[in-house]
Amino acid sequence: MTKNEPVDVLIIGAGASGAAIAWSLLETRMRILCLEQGPRLTDKNFPSREDTYELKRYGDFSCDPNVRGLKQDYPINVDDSCITPVNFNAVGGSTINFLGHWPRMKPSDFRTRSLDGVGDDWPVDYATLAPFYELNDRNTGVSGLGGNPAYPDYTPELPPIPLGKLGQTLAEGFNKMGWHWWPSDVAILSRDQDGRQKCVNAGTCDLGCAAGAKGGTNFTYWPILESAGVELRTECRVREILVSEQSGLATGVLYHGPDGQVHEQKAELVVLACNGVGTPRLLLNSANNTFPDGLANRSGKVGKNLMFHPLTGVAGVFDEPMRGHEGPMACSILSQQFYETDPDHDFKRGYGLHAGRSTTPMTYALGGFGVDAPIPWGKEHRDIMDNIYPYLAGLTIVTEDLPEEHNCVTLDPELTDSDGIPAPKISYRLGENTRKMLRHGEEQAAEILLASGAKNVLPKGSDRVWWRAGWHQMGTCRMGHDPQNSVVNGWGRCHDVKNLFIVDGSIFVTSGAVNPTSTIQALALYVGDSIKTNIETLFD
Amino acid sequence: MNKELLTAILDELIPPSADGRVPGAGTLGVAAFFADARRYVPDPVGSAQVIADAVTARTPNFETLDGAKKIAVLKAVEQDHPEPFNALVQLTYMGYYSRPETRALFGVGVHPVHPVGYAVERESEELLAELTSPVRARGTAFRNA
Repeated sequence: MTKNEPVDVLIIGAGASGAAIAWSLLETRMRILCLEQGPRLTDKNFPSREDTYELKRYGDFSCDPNVRGLKQDYPINVDDSCITPVNFNAVGGSTINFLGHWPRMKPSDFRTRSLDGVGDDWPVDYATLAPFYELNDRNTGVSGLGGNPAYPDYTPELPPIPLGKLGQTLAEGFNKMGWHWWPSDVAILSRDQDGRQKCVNAGTCDLGCAAGAKGGTNFTYWPILESAGVELRTECRVREILVSEQSGLATGVLYHGPDGQVHEQKAELVVLACNGVGTPRLLLNSANNTFPDGLANRSGKVGKNLMFHPLTGVAGVFDEPMRGHEGPMACSILSQQFYETDPDHDFKRGYGLHAGRSTTPMTYALGGFGVDAPIPWGKEHRDIMDNIYPYLAGLTIVTEDLPEEHNCVTLDPELTDSDGIPAPKISYRLGENTRKMLRHGEEQAAEILLASGAKNVLPKGSDRVWWRAGWHQMGTCRMGHDPQNSVVNGWGRCHDVKNLFIVDGSIFVTSGAVNPTSTIQALALYVGDSIKTNIETLFD
Repeated sequence: MNKELLTAILDELIPPSADGRVPGAGTLGVAAFFADARRYVPDPVGSAQVIADAVTARTPNFETLDGAKKIAVLKAVEQDHPEPFNALVQLTYMGYYSRPETRALFGVGVHPVHPVGYAVERESEELLAELTSPVRARGTAFRNA
């Protein structure tokens, strides 16, 4: 085993949250090191410059690590889940292949127990996070339209990306129904900024943005961080966090380097930024004599309360081509008409109706973006592709997922990654509240599509949710004031290990019904700010 | 493998358009894609061979059958060999739609989508104001907490 010079701050993971907290801590002039299990990619590595770009969705650029199966990917046992987690492992993490949809959580999302009697209240609120949302938006480059009545007032810096024919058509339908909708906030540049090119409407956000328009941290934070002296070691996979039995503090980590050797890296402060599956996996793999059930797990909550955003989609067929392949793929307009709890509904909390765009022919023929269910072969195939596919517009129902302890991340007893580290196992099933929301959402989506002028709404083949819907992995190391019921305190510090912080989606208490990356990064900046504020008494 | 047979099978999986403007998958030469498709399906050539053999076992002259009979044979083979048949369908779709010229038939650009992308005009401020005015008019749509 080789040893390295100690650092002040060791961040594990170079994705959304790891980059944001590194930026926040820059001004402390502490020595910061980030270990990332994936490689560096440049815009030249992204498939959208190739003729056969669509094929990469089923290979090295699949969102599903079990499909990619690359050295840097850890396998995930999903035999006991109706949704599979998706991610990406490289500098930028899952912001490489995320879709850039950038809604904030709403004030009520942080108070679901008080307001609606479900979930739990967060130890922070919207007002506390608002300045960090704003700061992060500035660092990322956010396009949108100010004045959305579904939020406290704020205005994105850049004008909205085009709604396009599809978005305009559906917006008119929402207006006919008198329902809320708004142009989506997106972490995608609508004009050139900070040396990055504006969006060219390629429609392949999931394959990495070769224009640099999408706000992946590979294009936003990391160039700044490395220029400022933050050290980034790639292809370095952490296997264990080390803790002193005497002090109870983290002393550093053991990691597998690109040389195939195990290295020890000492640090004064360790930050976990590995997402809602990777972080509990690492804590559970770091069990020791002091923490036999997993590091920082005296509460027993590490890995518990896993939340996704279960999705389903409804599509309508229109008279004219919708040109849905042109433009950022997830983002056109967002309706939050059914977001808040309504006493007339048979479920608590709510969902969003997302007018994403349609996809390219191969992906549609193979079942769509999140589903492995190819459309029929034969004459029916010809008919669908010629007479339906170009005329489609759809709505995706994105539901809030309530925390339930049986939905969890554990360690698989047999499966390992390429370094022999035990892999995570997901146990997840849909709650009844979620099922009711999905049914309600499908009915409303159909109504809107018809109001927008659809000739007909396509029947759904099954009531299953999208299989590859596990983009948003939350709740598995929840925040809270009570150490008996939470893993980290109100500013991301582990109750049980005072110099160990968590900043990714695992610290969410509830999920909201919006894409979480904006909130993940705002929280990471908030945690960084809290570290700076409490620096004198940080480990007390 | 019998190339003519495989071409005939693939032309049934994705048939040509009625007006002949769009070729079927077999005629387009999609079978050539299979040799390099191990990244997507574990044994692409093997899957195609299983299906070709099963078709031949059912009828030695598949290529000369009329359309309805071809489909009946393929449906029977699909039932008998679901895994390799599904693999063949998947491969055929991938091979067919990964050809840039095929994308154009469905209104999608032939070109790689970067760096050029697509020209989509941004809505004017006036149009956005008009579209969103009913939403604004209804007032606050969130709960303060």
